[in-house]
Amino acid sequence: MTSVFLAVTVAEVAIAALLVIRLAAGPTISDRIVALNTISTQAALAVLFFGAYTDRYIYIDPALWLASFSYLGTIVWARYLERGLL
Amino acid sequence: MREAFVIALAAIGLAFSLSGAVGILRMPDVYSRIQCSSKTITMGALPALVALVVGRGVLTPFGGRALLVAVLLLVVNPASSHALARAAYKAGVPMWPGAVRDDPKTPRRQATHDGENGEQGEGAR
Repeated sequence: MTSVFLAVTVAEVAIAALLVIRLAAGPTISDRIVALNTISTQAALAVLFFGAYTDRYIYIDPALWLASFSYLGTIVWARYLERGLL
Repeated sequence: MREAFVIALAAIGLAFSLSGAVGILRMPDVYSRIQCSSKTITMGALPALVALVVGRGVLTPFGGRALLVAVLLLVVNPASSHALARAAYKAGVPMWPGAVRDDPKTPRRQATHDGENGEQGEGAR
């Protein structure tokens, strides 16, 4: 079963690498924010699955951090787009 | 049996994540890409996390944290997608030229088919 976790980790990293194209080439800021939000979610999943593969508990906290703070980052960027700096 | 469930759920999650990533790459518009992104998270991340819960059990550290991340994403992702779409519209990001409807731009009498529903669009505009 651990090989399934490793396969999921590799696939999530590959999907995140696919999204880097949109992050680099997005025409507007909003495209980049969308790509970055998705990348951070995939990164959280990849970290969690890698932790389950290696069975080390230290990988749990970065996964939670990434999953919760990507939301904050998106909200802050949305406020910036809407109202400018402050 | 359990491993078959894990493999099936992980395959569903990865297929949806991949299709969402391709959608983000190929959609013509910010708003369409936001839709693809939220589909990636809701249908792509949640089955993968459920696969982790099934594989490790609910009360183990990884299963419990996976469940916590799943609930967090399920609550938080529609809010962030909505805020981002609203901010993009207010910042004046253009729609795809082939788009057929722009509801916040059209007058309220034409945008809503019945009159009493038109009041709630005022604050969002």
